[in-house]
Amino acid sequence: MLTCKEQVARSSDYLDGQLTFRERLLVRHHLMFCPNCRRFIRQMRLMQATLKRMPQEPVEGVDALAEQLAAERRKDIM
Amino acid sequence: MAAADDAHLLERLLKGEQRAYKDLVNTYQSAMRAVAYAIVGQRHADEVVQDAWLSVVRNLAKFEGRSSLKTWLLTITANSAKSRYKQNRREVLLDDLPSPHGTIGDDRFSPDDGHWAVAPYAWHQDTPEALLTEDELRKCLEHTILSLSQLQSSVLVLRERQGLELEEICNLLTLSLSNVRVLLHRARLKVFATVEHFEETGEC
Repeated sequence: MLTCKEQVARSSDYLDGQLTFRERLLVRHHLMFCPNCRRFIRQMRLMQATLKRMPQEPVEGVDALAEQLAAERRKDIM
Repeated sequence: MAAADDAHLLERLLKGEQRAYKDLVNTYQSAMRAVAYAIVGQRHADEVVQDAWLSVVRNLAKFEGRSSLKTWLLTITANSAKSRYKQNRREVLLDDLPSPHGTIGDDRFSPDDGHWAVAPYAWHQDTPEALLTEDELRKCLEHTILSLSQLQSSVLVLRERQGLELEEICNLLTLSLSNVRVLLHRARLKVFATVEHFEETGEC
């Protein structure tokens, strides 16, 4: 059986689907019996979802850049 | 963005519609900047993105839709960054900088049996929306991301915020899969520690 420390060390690979079949079973087995590690994994997922939804910084100078790029493209078509 | 949206946007871009370029920049600039930042660092990232945009426009007619528009844009960005960057960065590759709220390190586990010595603190919120209503936490997360090493933060941003596959990140940044996995894991544990600290103390 994995220790909690070993489970945490494999947690990113577990979340990214990078473990071998056997290792994945070991992690699942550990999680089944360990509420602390279940909480850890659940909160890792929540942290991932939070990063995903964090508002992105608005792009500075987007209008000027769009104008420049559109003009560049039109030069090619003309 | 789906292939059909790509095709529609591309049509407008080819016609030189300014509004289409604005959409393009708003949608992809952050991801492009993250790729540039990973390869050339803070100082030259903006120039690289600017070069990449010009190269995108000049090659637009050659885009055949074999990859997604996003992958194509990011590949151009990576190439433009790499052509600027000749130095060997291998030695700083796995640089691990201290983070404002630490990480989930060895000290969290019992040296005897490897079980939690300090169990993960139960967060009050259970949805990202609820967590993000805290303005302070959002700032705190930005701060932690900025404190990460160049590659750790880029890999984290490309994976979690831009939703890239690990293999795509490897190809763009010319890193091995095992390096990407290590960088990502270390970055995540630091961000985890930041949220945990905030949930436990209510402050950053």
